[in-house]
Amino acid sequence: MERDLEQLNSALNSIKTLRSNVRRVFESVSNGLRADHGDEGKENKYILELQELLTTVNNDLRDVENSVANLTPPPGAFSLGSTTSLSQETTHERQALYGQLVNSYKWTDKIHEYSALAGNILSTNSFNKTYKTFSTTKRRKTQTSNHNVPSDVIENLITSINKLFPDVTITTNRPFVPNPVIQASLGRVLKASIAFKGLMIEWVVVKAHAESNDLWTESRYKVFKKVTENCHAAMCHFHSPMMPDLAVRSFMHWFHSYNILFSAPCKRCGNHLHNNLPPTWRDLRTLEPYHEECK
Amino acid sequence: MGVTILTQFPTENRTGPHTIDVLSKRIMALGALQQGQFLVDCETYTSVPQLGPQRTVHVLHNSEQPATVFSLLETGTKTIPLATDGLFDLLMMKMSSFYTSKKQTKAESKGPRYEIGDFCVKLGTVTVSSNFKGILVEVEYRPCVVPAMCWDLLKEFLQGFLGLSGPTNPPAYLQNRMQEIYSPIDTIHQYLEHFTIFRKSPGIGMRA
Repeated sequence: MERDLEQLNSALNSIKTLRSNVRRVFESVSNGLRADHGDEGKENKYILELQELLTTVNNDLRDVENSVANLTPPPGAFSLGSTTSLSQETTHERQALYGQLVNSYKWTDKIHEYSALAGNILSTNSFNKTYKTFSTTKRRKTQTSNHNVPSDVIENLITSINKLFPDVTITTNRPFVPNPVIQASLGRVLKASIAFKGLMIEWVVVKAHAESNDLWTESRYKVFKKVTENCHAAMCHFHSPMMPDLAVRSFMHWFHSYNILFSAPCKRCGNHLHNNLPPTWRDLRTLEPYHEECK
Repeated sequence: MGVTILTQFPTENRTGPHTIDVLSKRIMALGALQQGQFLVDCETYTSVPQLGPQRTVHVLHNSEQPATVFSLLETGTKTIPLATDGLFDLLMMKMSSFYTSKKQTKAESKGPRYEIGDFCVKLGTVTVSSNFKGILVEVEYRPCVVPAMCWDLLKEFLQGFLGLSGPTNPPAYLQNRMQEIYSPIDTIHQYLEHFTIFRKSPGIGMRA
């Protein structure tokens, strides 16, 4: 790349010299005999001068040919189809369009390239801990939509979760028919308002039992604000469009591990408090308690 | 209302204000912010002999619940707690012919109130009829309502803040109620326990 640029530079330079020397030839021809040629043998002097100039031009031309021969031709031009006619646009304000078009084409091309690279790297270093299988052979019966599912499907899911954990009590209300908002209270520790969008978890707010069930105000306690934040992270982590019911189940399983929010010490440092907060993070796979700073 | 632990802090030959100063420097160094003052007071009334066996009523106020008057009636066999609104004070005045108060037993704990994270810390100077008696440190962990769940956490906080003077066991009053939901009257019970001990102890003799 570097070498290509250098060669291109030198080729351009030699063209420049060639042009300036050709100009000098024409200058000399147009001026004809001048006073500084003197009186004696002025024709001879003039012819000599012209010959000299023509030789330099000849040399320069050879240089140009050499340097051009060294250049590597670019690997195929951008084929932008009929958009090339944009460059022929005569209206002044539209002339810039073509340049912008080419630039954005280059951008998308780069993005394509980088994303392909990133995809390769990420697929070899998978850090996703839920087990998703995208193979076409084992694909389960695909649901047509996760947003718009019959309400009895959601109802079944919620009741099955309710049965799964004895210390989680769930009350449901449905401000909008297919999208329930459930209040899951976890023992005497905390309660969470979880809003569903079809089969997917849309929003989670964790609060103390004494606080209101409002979905839009956060808890007044720092520890529950932190838990809410972590719940959002887990909600995104467990999200799986292919198997939404599994995602909800995994999330609730993880959420259930907060039943020892105040009583369990951090797995890493062994203390209860760090920054005056108990361990608010739960490992996504092992469900072990950690402080935010210790995880 | 969260779980509250009340513990006595030894003065060790220091004066009351000096001890409060030491403790408030410590809590400020931990990052606490002072949020005003607090006051808990207790007045004790005893029944006149004409009413039969002697009964005692302790009337307490806590600035954390300013609109409530707490009273604990001791009949000798059991203690009946009662939480009422402010008019109860006037009712006690009306009943002065049945229940008389001994003015020299009025106990109170007051001092600065701090907030640090979800904790609320109060450093109280205890006086019984305006004689300095000692220091009471109150620590409340507000998000939690069951003492058993957060006792270890509170113990760690108290020991981090009070050092070796921090408690190693839950207060006697709470020991039988560790699994129950904590309520403001439980704090009042703890204060009364400490006030009763302070009243019996000989005064340190320093004016607060």
